[in-house]
Amino acid sequence: MDRRGAVLVAPAVVAVLFVLGAGLGSAVLQSVGLIPLVGDPALQFTGYVGEREVLAAVGLSLLIASASTSVAALVGLSTALLLVGSGRGRRMLAALVTASIPVPHLVGAASVGLLLSDSGLMSRWLGVPAQAWPSLVAGAWPTAVIFEYAWKESAFVALVVSASLASRLPDYQETAALLGARPWARFRHVALPLATPALLAASAIAFVYTLGSYEVAWLLGAAYPEPLPVLSYRLFTSTDLTARPDAMAVAVMTTVIAGSVALTALALLRRTAAWR
Amino acid sequence: MRRVASLTAGIVLVSACAAPISGSSEETSDSWPEIRSKARGQTVSLWMWGGDPQGNAYVDDVLAPAARQAGVTLRRVPVADTKEALNRVLAEKQAGRSDGEVDLVWVNGDNFATGVQADAWRCGWSSALPNMRFTDPDDPLLTEDFGMQVDGCESPWHKAQFTLVYDSARITDPPGTMSEVLDWIEANPGRFTYPAPPDFTGSVFVRQLLYTVSGGHENVPATFDQETFDELTPALWQRLRDLAPSLWRNGRTYPRDSVALDRLFAEGQLDMTMTYGPATLTELVEEGTFPPSTRVLPLEEGTVGNASFLAIPATSADHAGAMLVANLALSPTQQRIKADPRVWGQFTVLDESRLSGRDKADFDRLPDSPVVPSYTVLARHANPELASAWVPALDEGWRRDVLAEVQ
Repeated sequence: MDRRGAVLVAPAVVAVLFVLGAGLGSAVLQSVGLIPLVGDPALQFTGYVGEREVLAAVGLSLLIASASTSVAALVGLSTALLLVGSGRGRRMLAALVTASIPVPHLVGAASVGLLLSDSGLMSRWLGVPAQAWPSLVAGAWPTAVIFEYAWKESAFVALVVSASLASRLPDYQETAALLGARPWARFRHVALPLATPALLAASAIAFVYTLGSYEVAWLLGAAYPEPLPVLSYRLFTSTDLTARPDAMAVAVMTTVIAGSVALTALALLRRTAAWR
Repeated sequence: MRRVASLTAGIVLVSACAAPISGSSEETSDSWPEIRSKARGQTVSLWMWGGDPQGNAYVDDVLAPAARQAGVTLRRVPVADTKEALNRVLAEKQAGRSDGEVDLVWVNGDNFATGVQADAWRCGWSSALPNMRFTDPDDPLLTEDFGMQVDGCESPWHKAQFTLVYDSARITDPPGTMSEVLDWIEANPGRFTYPAPPDFTGSVFVRQLLYTVSGGHENVPATFDQETFDELTPALWQRLRDLAPSLWRNGRTYPRDSVALDRLFAEGQLDMTMTYGPATLTELVEEGTFPPSTRVLPLEEGTVGNASFLAIPATSADHAGAMLVANLALSPTQQRIKADPRVWGQFTVLDESRLSGRDKADFDRLPDSPVVPSYTVLARHANPELASAWVPALDEGWRRDVLAEVQ
């Protein structure tokens, strides 16, 4: 890397490091009991000792994030390929994708709730009584939560992937076709390698976002188990002020998981052929 | 979003660590006329639970215009949970601010106690409010808030009584005691549930059941100690675990708050709901949300009752205005309008024997509700609230020994 570049990005890096360092630093300090709201500071690690509730939260958060990211990646990639292809209805599809992007997650979650809950629109349209309707909202499995994230994130993935493909894919596809490549071979050896970096990056962003997001799981999820952000916020707002360190410990754990996923994705990204 | 918020909070905290934490329990030495003139022109932000449209309308359309006449602008800030307001105050206090966003909070119980613990309330003012003369100074509901001495740190606003509510069209022979309610639940599986604590209403249901399981409120000491907790709660958790399979969705999940519970009742999925503010039932029936056959279920052994208050945070700059609003909210006129079931229907904290003849006559003229009996009927055999330290302990115990167990 040349030195001029390093100097140019330095202000941004310093600002980010300051914000991250101050925020994370104080979260870590609070999580080990060094900045208590009441009482004297005393080093303690009780928040990090894996209670059953915390383990359940980690499991549920990972389940929600991986399931919704997988669906989003699959749907997003297919949509992107349709968008840059020459099929009919492209405009319509593009309009749908673009319209999904600015819908806030909170609105999305409320709409999914109205659609899928026991006495929601779907159960009424289909004439299924509330008692017989599967517990999609707040049930044992976070179905509605995953559905909401998968829908919103697939639009995001489609947008990012199609943007990276739009300028290059048609020419390559055409060449490959002229050289006699069949549709599957064109997808496997042309479209997929070209799409991989954007797909990987977009999926990583979606995963990390889902892991740290609160409102959808709060609105559509069950009372138990709770994903990490919901658990953290409940402990944070507990009237028991000594629960603060536990809340911060959960927040720090969430950050660590999100950070490792982001780093892994970055490492994978550097390995992809199209990156270089 | 949350991450950004906590990061920002983190920076504020780091930069404020060195700042001295201001003392809060200062006495208010100003005389009332002085307070009134200081209040003129101030803007008071009242942070209150926003889940009750009637309460919101009362504050916006009745209380705020009255405050404006006294020169104070009253701004209502709705919150999903009073804990949000408290957290705001605690963060401001940690940051050493003295011009906080919160001037007045509708509060009681554990939120009040937490604020006292963190020294976050302005104290020594409410006993000096002119309109306090209309309240009974020996009324235990007003001198103690969930076992915590009020000590002039908050002024009373309404009284409330925990009540079970049922649909008389579906339950023709309603149970008369809490034990009979439990039997009824088991005989009619899937038609009852309660909001998951720490929701306010779910939390009081668990406390009410602790009384039942322990053989009456006399057997549960109001002050908290771990030994009594360990002795009394296993039976409660056992009863709730046994009850779970008969609840809505087999007790594997619970409505997250009383709003969600009321929705299930309104949709006809449940035959009973519950509330700590029975006052709102009249309006809910009138507007058709609840069926016309909705009735309050009186229990022989009585139910838990409490009062709620208005507190001023130590970080508020507009405390003179806040005091003026608190005094106004306590006036016989405001208390009477608020008690009207067509307005809000909240039970008054005033002692009617201390009112002037005209004010008393006005109170007597309030219309009766077809759904909710009067406060005197509801509060017969009222059970005292437990000390606030019980509340988080019971909430946490419920999550650990009931919710997590029955999966």
